[in-house]
Amino acid sequence: MATSGAELVRQMAAGDREAFALFYDRYAPVVFPLILRIVRERADASDVLQEVFWEVWRTADAYDPARGSPEAWMVTRARTRAIDRIRSTRRRIETFVAPLDEAIAATPGEPTPDAAERAENRGTIRSALDRLPGAQREVIELAYYVGLTQTEIAERLKQPLGTVKTRIRLALERLRDVVRTSP
Amino acid sequence: MTHEPYDTQAASYALGALDGEERPEFERHLAGGCAVCGAALRASAETLAAMVRSGPPMVPPPAVKEALLRRIATTTPGRRASARPRPLVWAVGTLAAMIAGAAFTGAFVASRYEGRLGQMAREAAALRERVQRDEAALREQIAVYRSAVDLLRDPQTQIVTLHGLGPSPEATGRVIWHPVNGGYVFVANLPSAPAGKAYELWTIADAAPQPAGVFQVDASGRGTHRIPPLEGGKPVKVFAVTLEPEGGVPAPTGPMVLASK
Repeated sequence: MATSGAELVRQMAAGDREAFALFYDRYAPVVFPLILRIVRERADASDVLQEVFWEVWRTADAYDPARGSPEAWMVTRARTRAIDRIRSTRRRIETFVAPLDEAIAATPGEPTPDAAERAENRGTIRSALDRLPGAQREVIELAYYVGLTQTEIAERLKQPLGTVKTRIRLALERLRDVVRTSP
Repeated sequence: MTHEPYDTQAASYALGALDGEERPEFERHLAGGCAVCGAALRASAETLAAMVRSGPPMVPPPAVKEALLRRIATTTPGRRASARPRPLVWAVGTLAAMIAGAAFTGAFVASRYEGRLGQMAREAAALRERVQRDEAALREQIAVYRSAVDLLRDPQTQIVTLHGLGPSPEATGRVIWHPVNGGYVFVANLPSAPAGKAYELWTIADAAPQPAGVFQVDASGRGTHRIPPLEGGKPVKVFAVTLEPEGGVPAPTGPMVLASK
């Protein structure tokens, strides 16, 4: 019978390196596609993944099972670190090239992920998100995977901020129903 | 003020999209201990985790785990300072955090270099292995030449010319042959044997051809092969080379490619 994730975190907090290895094997394949989807470069994603699990090891005693599953804890951390990474990259780009627009994403200098990677990336956001109406899916993608704030989303979609806020809330409610009913 | 605006803010906050004035406003509300928003955020975190999990899992590059295991091998997990920090404790805590931060950066840099060094060590090992292999091959070649020269000094040694036949008329060969010590065959312009095949040398004294070993030629069509002496030092009348299965056969089956007259 597999040890629960929460128990593994407790063992890690006590300095158990084997627990860390088990924890990594269980959660790295879940968060790696998320990080890769956000940062897009495999090398960057590997860096961020390492950073995330290193922090987990260092702060395992801060985990409180009452506040959420280890999986949610890991996913939240991974998403935050990945967004930090692309925001700092974006800032660097903005310093040299203003204004930032979508053309930058297609700059020839930037290595583009190969077809398999793109398919993998897409695979991550397919699935649960796919079952949301297009407009709702869009706001979750822009916020969660692209890291835009609600104001930035409103600008990007040329919609009033109030509309975007409502859409975000409805999208999240809908998503909750979708994952609840999915196998 | 009703709770309603906070529900909307909690959703944006959960997606990391809350900005402007609303963000500190919501964080103050949350810090005030709103159980509804706390529960909403926890539920949203689980929902988003479920969304992430619903995609196909992907095993990360093994190097990441290796690097992490190396890093954690020399550390212990962090410990939080106990509750209610007093100012001095807080200052010490901050200092400790700064040191931990520096240590983290140091460890991170170190781990990247360790990875690089590990790779360099592997490359160096591979290079050393190759050099050793090359050296062994050269020593072998020198030993062959040395004993060939020794044979040439002996007045009993004969030199026999081999001529290309049938499938490889361009091929040539020389046998340096000593009735007691055996000798060598040197061939040139012989095409590489097809996969699973090799060249086999035959010595013919008075009866059936005797197998004298199999050999291959290099990319330039050259080959060298040591020939053991015949039992009883019987004189060899004919040397011949045929194309045979890789392991060699007791009697010739394939086409003859070289022979002495």
